[in-house]
Amino acid sequence: MGRTRAVTFVLEAAGVRRGDTVILEDITATIRSGRCTVIAGPSGAGKSTLLRLLNRMLDPTTGRVLLDGTPLAALDVLALRRRVGLVAQQPTLLTDAVLDDLRVGRPDLTEEEARSLLAETGLPPAFAERPTAGLSGGEAQRVCLARTLALRPEVLLLDEPTSALDRASAEAIEGVVNDLRAAGGTAVLVSHDTGQARRLADDVLVLRDGRLAEQGPPEDVDYLRAVASP
Amino acid sequence: MSHEVHVPSWPGVVASLALVAIALAIVARARLRITRELLVAVVRAGVQLIAVGALLLAIFRYAGLPGAFAWAAVMVVIAGQVAGRRGSGVPRSRVAATAGLATGGGATLLALVVLDVIPAQARVVVPVAGMIIGGSMQAAGLALRRVRDAVTSGRPAIEARLSLGLTAREAFAPHTRDALHTALLPVIDSTKVVGLITLPGAMTGLILGGVEPLTAIRYQIVVMYMMLAAAAVSAYVTTRFAEAALFDDAHRLRT
Repeated sequence: MGRTRAVTFVLEAAGVRRGDTVILEDITATIRSGRCTVIAGPSGAGKSTLLRLLNRMLDPTTGRVLLDGTPLAALDVLALRRRVGLVAQQPTLLTDAVLDDLRVGRPDLTEEEARSLLAETGLPPAFAERPTAGLSGGEAQRVCLARTLALRPEVLLLDEPTSALDRASAEAIEGVVNDLRAAGGTAVLVSHDTGQARRLADDVLVLRDGRLAEQGPPEDVDYLRAVASP
Repeated sequence: MSHEVHVPSWPGVVASLALVAIALAIVARARLRITRELLVAVVRAGVQLIAVGALLLAIFRYAGLPGAFAWAAVMVVIAGQVAGRRGSGVPRSRVAATAGLATGGGATLLALVVLDVIPAQARVVVPVAGMIIGGSMQAAGLALRRVRDAVTSGRPAIEARLSLGLTAREAFAPHTRDALHTALLPVIDSTKVVGLITLPGAMTGLILGGVEPLTAIRYQIVVMYMMLAAAAVSAYVTTRFAEAALFDDAHRLRT
């Protein structure tokens, strides 16, 4: 991942309201490049919503989000989404064959590149020839990750990437995060897995009821309290 | 037309009410509890058709071709509401359907008149427009229903494509294809079996009116082809409008 550039997000009093419901409120935080930021918190705290603010699948209704000093709204949204890759919690395959899926965002992807992307996520290169029907949850999740990596994103947003995954898949995904970080890229992941959060996190943002309850290095954050429902 | 046209007299129409009595007897005997609905339908059909007959008579006698096109415009608006309802949940679905029907119906009708396939007379334009718009309404409604289903069940896939930097149109393309496919299947199927399974309206009407079958089919052939064109254009334009209403400027689903 040689061409990774430094990408830092700044959230300035960002909030999201839908009708009368407050989903996120007054989030001020910095997500730094070359680091892995873990977003923790009980379910319904707004973790996925926060992730979606970073690739503009959602805009804040109050406040703003900046990328390297530029408001996201001022950037070309399609280019932004290619730089900031989001892997959703539920793996969704889009075509009938793994190779075709990897080509959805990169139609010019060669078979050679496809095989090396699959290897990055810990899947055997021969997976490129597989039909997408009948893949296990972990395999599907890794194909989705490889599909995003095909764009060579500078930022990876992973929404609970290893919930309900086997050990090998979880380790492969952690490997991808470590490689990205080592190359100076930015990783942001929503995680319920305290062990994983401890292994990967450089910074932790703890959300509770849509508000930023705690932020800091993992050693300062009480994980059990962070993920526990109030 | 030199043929003697034989249609039921008013006493004949009243006599046909005896047939309604048969239907009523069955409904009552089987305790279907739809007697009221049946009676309303019977009265409604009578009143609607008498009103339309009188209106058409007025248009043919006094309003001429401009009146015929105005009546076609009214049909587009009504059909647009009906087809638009199929896509409830899709923003501005009625606008999408009305735009689609206006384009598909208008283009087809105009082509037929300009190419002199049908004479530019009110008494021809009105029923032809009715057939075109009726068929297109079904196509536009089916397309909208599929679009609506795509948004409810296909959201994760649409968002996955958008997250890969695809434009809204690219991300929705598989669903657009599916909607058009579904919309056009019925009209393609009915074109395939026309005459074998169904003796369609225009042809039946002409034969009832005393026209030679080989003459009547010429009309039917034109009708089938124009229905195909009108349905295709209507479904396409409706789907495009619906798609535009589904996404915002930042290539995201609005709802």
